[in-house]
Amino acid sequence: MEKNKKRIRIVVRIEVATLINRDGKINRRKMDRLAMVLSDLNNSGKQIIVVSSGAIVLGSEKLKLPSIPPSKIDMQALAAVGQAELIRSYQRSFDEYGQIVAQVLVTSDIVDYPQRVENTRNTFDMLLSMNIIPIVNENDAVSTTDIELEDNYPLALKIANITGADIIVIKSQENGNYGIVTGNEKPVIQVENEISLQEKIDALFGRNASSAVFPATVVFPATMNEIYSL
Amino acid sequence: MKFRENLRTKKRIVIKIGTSSLSFAGGRINFHRIEKLARVLSLLRKNGSQVLLVTSGAIAVGAARIGMTERPRELARKQALAAIGQAELIKIYQKFFEENNQLVAQVLLTKDVVTIPELNRNARRTLARLLKMELIPIINENDTIATNEIEFGDNDTLSAIVACLVEADLLIILSDIDGLYSADPRTDPSAEIIHTVKEITPKLEKLASGAGSSFSTGGMVTKISAAKICQQAGVDCVIASGYDPAIIFEVLEGKKVGTHFIAGQTSSVFNLFI
Repeated sequence: MEKNKKRIRIVVRIEVATLINRDGKINRRKMDRLAMVLSDLNNSGKQIIVVSSGAIVLGSEKLKLPSIPPSKIDMQALAAVGQAELIRSYQRSFDEYGQIVAQVLVTSDIVDYPQRVENTRNTFDMLLSMNIIPIVNENDAVSTTDIELEDNYPLALKIANITGADIIVIKSQENGNYGIVTGNEKPVIQVENEISLQEKIDALFGRNASSAVFPATVVFPATMNEIYSL
Repeated sequence: MKFRENLRTKKRIVIKIGTSSLSFAGGRINFHRIEKLARVLSLLRKNGSQVLLVTSGAIAVGAARIGMTERPRELARKQALAAIGQAELIKIYQKFFEENNQLVAQVLLTKDVVTIPELNRNARRTLARLLKMELIPIINENDTIATNEIEFGDNDTLSAIVACLVEADLLIILSDIDGLYSADPRTDPSAEIIHTVKEITPKLEKLASGAGSSFSTGGMVTKISAAKICQQAGVDCVIASGYDPAIIFEVLEGKKVGTHFIAGQTSSVFNLFI
């Protein structure tokens, strides 16, 4: 019945290249559009979690380095600098739409600590129930595992699993192939830009739907080919 | 006293600022205070010191941001507020530091940094690198994903641990109290600040916890415990009022402000494995 409806929970995974220009600076216009669309989705009742990346790239730009130094320790330092810049940018953009955001930094080994997973899940539930959009990133500054420069999809997957998300959205630069990570049970949608993100979510769930009562005709795809045929 | 003069030579300094010093009663940020702090620390850094800032206030700032007036009890709520408030805080710090041409970096730590050797090593190296790059690391506990058995106590202990991690010369704890008093200053007119502490005795600890005294919010207890960690690790520690961050200059000039806990004459390594 009505009262058991759960709100649709969407993990939106942002690739750094889609938000940051070639000069290493944040593309304000793209960031703004993203904030607008996500705020809208949030306002329409969906729960949104953003998994971002780009801290290291931004850190490198902030310090005016010609390129990203290869050593892990340098990358960690850059991550510490860039993350502050990144979250500030998100805040500024979302602020325009009166949408409050929160910063969540996790290390990729979080899945190894059941207590922490439990706490993290509770924190997300709390933030989402307050209509706040968590912006998640790897805590690269203190990470002891290898640092993923480009690919935050594994993190998005982990967060989707921890938070019981219904769907993962990948906003990607490329229209083409994106390797499916095996073991992924979450339906994935790939979108090229913010407008198609909105359109596809609306198409999937209906414009004003806030709860996950999926229309019978929707099939949840397991492969990229099936996603493209949506 | 000679001990205070030694503070003039301190080059690697950790400053800890408490919630009450950086925000107003409701948790709203005191911009003027942060602006001043940023100015003071940037100047210090520019003059060749290595500076680290341990900040508190994430939960209070988060609460104010969403209009919550009471401090939450529930862990999940605290963690959620910390996630909101930390983003807000770091944004503000960045702004004011950049106005002083000083770049900053955000480092969120968990208690594991003390107990897990790999994390310990990792944190040391990252912080050392940030200092070398002439940045000011702004450090806080990663409240959002911390587990609830661990309580750093308004970051006093965290600041002492950071001081050990980077082998600092000095830790300055800025708070809403002028220093360690000989008695409750609110009820005893003869109460005075104890300006120098060579050794933290059980008697002193009892004084700080002020059994029965209402001025002890528990804040002094954690400060004493932080000072103890410092003394044992050979780090000088000064507890002073955060009302005017320029007091940092006074401390470094060797002026008799606040309470100075003199570093122990220990040759022990800065290893903290509890």
